[in-house]
Amino acid sequence: MRFQVQRYNPETDKLPYLKEYELNTIPTGMMLRDALLQIKAQDESFTFRHSCGEGVCGSDAMNINGSNALACLTPLSTLSQPIVVRSVPGMPIIRDLVVDMSQFYHHYRAIKPYLIVHDPMPEVELLQSPEDRDKLDGLYECILCGCCTTACPSFWWNPDKFRGPAALLQAYRFLADSRDQATNQRLQELDGPYRMFRCHTIMNCTSVCPKGLNPSAAIHKIKELMLKEMI
Amino acid sequence: MSWRAHGMRAWLLQRLSALYMLLFAISFLLYIAPNLPITYEYWSDLFTRPSIAVATLVFFAALLYHAWIGIRDIIVDYIHDTTLRFTLWVLVTLFLIGLGIWVALIVLSVVAV
Repeated sequence: MRFQVQRYNPETDKLPYLKEYELNTIPTGMMLRDALLQIKAQDESFTFRHSCGEGVCGSDAMNINGSNALACLTPLSTLSQPIVVRSVPGMPIIRDLVVDMSQFYHHYRAIKPYLIVHDPMPEVELLQSPEDRDKLDGLYECILCGCCTTACPSFWWNPDKFRGPAALLQAYRFLADSRDQATNQRLQELDGPYRMFRCHTIMNCTSVCPKGLNPSAAIHKIKELMLKEMI
Repeated sequence: MSWRAHGMRAWLLQRLSALYMLLFAISFLLYIAPNLPITYEYWSDLFTRPSIAVATLVFFAALLYHAWIGIRDIIVDYIHDTTLRFTLWVLVTLFLIGLGIWVALIVLSVVAV
């Protein structure tokens, strides 16, 4: 099986380039992450981020044959050869497939990804009805792998100002939470030309999400809340 | 919430203007459909009616405003140099205002007051 893997060493290379690798024995059901580990065994100068190997940690987001996905959830049998593996687009490359995610985390922090409660805290837990809890389904599952945000053209053009689909999905996760009391503040922070409204419903985010989540729909819900707030 | 024409307000007005254009286009076509094929006399008589003239002017206002927001979105997306961005935006704005004045002059020149 033929692979073309992005290599970049900041100390010796001016630009990233693709390097050919060949693996001969591919067991059925093998995932791309396992193949990359075999490539690393062939050529130990190659590096990539990975950890849990089952789509929980979100470390091994990469651009596989032109589309963002998690290497650990991508079976080799679904890929046409040569399998071209690059780092996720739009992020500064540190080395090989490893990118600098600082910008991504900055936007995540900026949407205040925690409950904000103005009332005095109760003696017991902040309770929530099962129906209200159901509203968080499809939102809380995000593992912050960055597949969506780095697939978003709006993020490529304005990475410093546009929050990106991952952060906006999380913004809606807290807007939709019955226990959160900062709705107005959150909505005000997202208004303006850049933070949310660079989204033009391109929907790359939704099509690449390895967890099957829908950031486009979440952004639409935020707009609905803003509209209600305005009227 | 800010009431300047960006963010939520621009997004909403772009959609409302689209809605008006859609409704105007459909109702205008339905209105003239019984009189097909259209003669020059019918067409010029149509625009002497103040109600048609006003609806047409609102249509072009919606069109130009819709285009203004759309082109500004493109500029904000792709042009990051402040001077170039500002220059382009001013040129686009002046161009669209110019078109608006031209349309208004044409429509007002035939309307019967």
